[in-house]
Amino acid sequence: MRPRFLLLLLPCLLAAQSVSDLQKSFEKKVTEFTLANGLHFIVIERHDAPVVSFHTYLNVGSVDDPGGQTGLAHMFEHMAFKGTSTIGTKNWVAEKAALAAVEQVYNRLEAERGRGTRADAKKVDALQMELAAAIEKADSLVEPNEYDRVVESNGGADMNASTAEDSTNYFYSFPSNRIELWFLMESTRFLDPVFREFYKERDVVREERRMRVESSSQGKLVEAMLATAYSAHPYRNMPGGWAGDIEHFRRPDAERFYRQYYVPANMTIGIAGDVNPVEARRMAKKYFGRLPARPLPSRYRTDEPVQEGEKRVAVASPAQPFLVIAYKRPDRHSPDSAAIDVLDAVLSDGRTGLIFKDMVRDKQIALGAGSQSEFPGGKYPSLFLFYVAPGTGHSVEENEQELYKIIDQVKAATVDAETLQRVKTKLRAGLIRKLASNSGLASELCSYYVAYGDWRKLFTELDEYNKVTAEDVQRVAKMYLVPEHRTVAYTYGPPSVPAQNGDGK
Amino acid sequence: MTRRRLLFVFALAAVAFAQAPAPAPVPATAAIPAYKDLKYPPLHQIKIPEPIAFTLPNGMKVFLLEDHELPVFNGLALVRTGNLFDPADKRGLSSIMADVLRSGGTREKTGDQIDEELENIAASVESSMGETSASISFSGLSESSDRILRIFHGVLTGPEFRQDKIDLTITQMHSGLDRRNDDPQGIAEREIASIVYGRENSYGWTVEHEHLARIKREDLQAFYRRYYFPKNIQLAVYGDFSAPAMRAKLEALFADWKVEQPAVPAFPAVTAKPAPGAFLAEKSDVTQTFFTMGLLGGTLRDPDYPALEVATNILGSGFTSRLMSQIRTKMGLAYSIGAGWGAAYDHPGIFRIVGSTKSASTADALLAVRAEVEKMRTTEVTEQELRTAKDTVLNSFVFFFDSPSKTLNRLMNYEYYGYPKDFLFEYQKKIAAVTRADVLRVFRERANPANLSIVAVGNPQDFGKPLTGVGKVEKIDLSIPK
Repeated sequence: MRPRFLLLLLPCLLAAQSVSDLQKSFEKKVTEFTLANGLHFIVIERHDAPVVSFHTYLNVGSVDDPGGQTGLAHMFEHMAFKGTSTIGTKNWVAEKAALAAVEQVYNRLEAERGRGTRADAKKVDALQMELAAAIEKADSLVEPNEYDRVVESNGGADMNASTAEDSTNYFYSFPSNRIELWFLMESTRFLDPVFREFYKERDVVREERRMRVESSSQGKLVEAMLATAYSAHPYRNMPGGWAGDIEHFRRPDAERFYRQYYVPANMTIGIAGDVNPVEARRMAKKYFGRLPARPLPSRYRTDEPVQEGEKRVAVASPAQPFLVIAYKRPDRHSPDSAAIDVLDAVLSDGRTGLIFKDMVRDKQIALGAGSQSEFPGGKYPSLFLFYVAPGTGHSVEENEQELYKIIDQVKAATVDAETLQRVKTKLRAGLIRKLASNSGLASELCSYYVAYGDWRKLFTELDEYNKVTAEDVQRVAKMYLVPEHRTVAYTYGPPSVPAQNGDGK
Repeated sequence: MTRRRLLFVFALAAVAFAQAPAPAPVPATAAIPAYKDLKYPPLHQIKIPEPIAFTLPNGMKVFLLEDHELPVFNGLALVRTGNLFDPADKRGLSSIMADVLRSGGTREKTGDQIDEELENIAASVESSMGETSASISFSGLSESSDRILRIFHGVLTGPEFRQDKIDLTITQMHSGLDRRNDDPQGIAEREIASIVYGRENSYGWTVEHEHLARIKREDLQAFYRRYYFPKNIQLAVYGDFSAPAMRAKLEALFADWKVEQPAVPAFPAVTAKPAPGAFLAEKSDVTQTFFTMGLLGGTLRDPDYPALEVATNILGSGFTSRLMSQIRTKMGLAYSIGAGWGAAYDHPGIFRIVGSTKSASTADALLAVRAEVEKMRTTEVTEQELRTAKDTVLNSFVFFFDSPSKTLNRLMNYEYYGYPKDFLFEYQKKIAAVTRADVLRVFRERANPANLSIVAVGNPQDFGKPLTGVGKVEKIDLSIPK
């Protein structure tokens, strides 16, 4: 079960040694167990301060959104804060009936609207009024934000959640005497969630999209880039979903999604801090043992077809220009993954990365530029991404061509030994820094466990990095950074926006 | 037809689910308490780390804190200066100085050589400029602590300010300035500061191309000489080392740095006058209006600070606040909405309400927010709201102590701004004592909506109702002077 990579390159022997010591000291602090329903727990003891961080990792993300319902995973994430049949209600029997009434009116409204051009406008108006009244009635039975209030007033810190392409994450921290409260609150919201205030929250989710995507020139650019780079795979959609899909979500859609994907075996929980693992296990059984075992969701997934030739997309924007170039790369389980990460670090890590040195520091054509080895996720074949903010007076095209020169350079010659060693040392230090906080640990160990089946991969990954040679880096650059598999996306301004600072150089 | 039938099935499914019994078996639920009935054991003792404090012979104050959990080594030098000291005609000078302090290298090494040397050992030394303090921080693995300290010492005591890096930083700042209107939230934040503090002083002014163009190497050197001297610096070092050995190292390392300068004067005083009204910055490429409402707030020393903090939390902090409940949860008008009292250590900060809403609901959202402020100062909050707000602060108090570096940073700030060491514990006591009447009184005195400046960044063509419903509207000129 436990992967071991003992064949280390000589120059890194000392370095890797101290990491394996760290791993050993972590082994002593980590307790793992799986409940009968399949829910896996990873508990990390750190008793320096009387605080604990919790991380619930769902192996479901926006890639699992049903067709025509992009953003649904994210919509459920919002509903997970709405409480249960005992938390968040003034009168559950009455509220339950009121919620059902809302759906009935909504069904009638959709049926009338579904008649298209033959729909009766007066009937639609009347049904809309009826719907608003039904929603108001249901809302009047809600104890607003009770779930949040219980967590926050008990000292819950940094409570939030996130939905990404590959996963959905729920997290916060408590003073360590409140551990049982977390077990109660977290298990109950996934056992018995009530999707109250669904349609108001749908408006909130729609506002979130306006804020993150529609009102941000970079958000719009990334959305266009993904929709261009992917023709079929759901990585083509931003995790927030498309506006039209969001506006038509129905409560039963989210409930179905929850029943399908929020099964205990699809859930991993990390707990890090001042926690007794024996107690944690007892409480896990008591509270999370209530979640009924259900089959893991099937993962039918559209494969992205092989890209045949460069794609380009231009987005009009009055903002200063921005350029994104994305190359297809395999998923994170590819044997080339470690070499791709090293290539990324050679290209853009810190002030010694090739891109910074060339484009920002020496030629001074970019305000900022860099790369990212894995975007937007890693579970499925993804993108190796380059991004550039051109400096004033320097065009997107000039920057694009310069970037290609750098890419050609890493394909033409191997990186020198000093550079390669530097990158490996930085990757090792990066790991050590990840171990410094409870919340970071709880999250990292969950995501490594889910992705690779073992949290120890967080440590053993370094051995894989250490094995990467200069030839490997060159090979993956040649293999993946090819024009036929690239998508170029950029913004362009209207001609009336002059270069403000052509003489500033 | 088909669609209708599908919908019908849909409806059945929904009803069936709503009527299904809770999936948990009955005996199991019986053992599960309600959250209200949970009893909590006493919290384990908070261990407050005690840094070792001393002063080097050259006058530099030092704090050392050992922390052996991970093999890392970190430090922070706090310098008494800030961009509030920028000359009016050379705005941006201090930030450029701080940047080139690091990138411009030392007498022996260029900045690029330092980059390589540091990254070879996965370490960093960074210099930055804030409003009322500057910092040089370092970080790395403890195995490299000697080399990191040597580089840190070189950067702090002997920056060379090479011209090529001055040119680079200024070019970057010109480019950055040209992008300052691209982010609507950034515009709202910048403009509220300019409006509340006034545009003609270093609290509220903006850096323009003409200022950057005037800045020369001599200016950087003069700024550095004036503020970067031992008596004007506090240094904190924390991580995996032995304190006595570290003390000896620092004494030896800084033995040759004995520069003296007259004491640094106080930061300029805030001379703000209320500037109520609505200020509109037009931006065509957004579907939301980003807004900030603000007025001049106070300092952490303010006797009413704890009550103001509780009041602001009830109004707009966290997911339970009034703004969140009303504007987001009940009205569905915003994803992001919140308020902060924004007290600073040494000068009045800005009380802010920040949010964004779709263009069409701009006026509705602004009016609803202002009504919530008004309600805070006309009616006492409920007992439950007060208890929630106080519990939120008091029960999360332990997070002030969840890492040794937090404690160290706080102590440094108390020292830097002349606050008592037990300030946080006094604050804790005062929070516990805040009453509903206090909350009403402080908001009555300090948060008059008639004084609020409202900055709205958005596309007025799509506003459902005109902004004039909110007040007299003044347009903000976003053009960037050459």
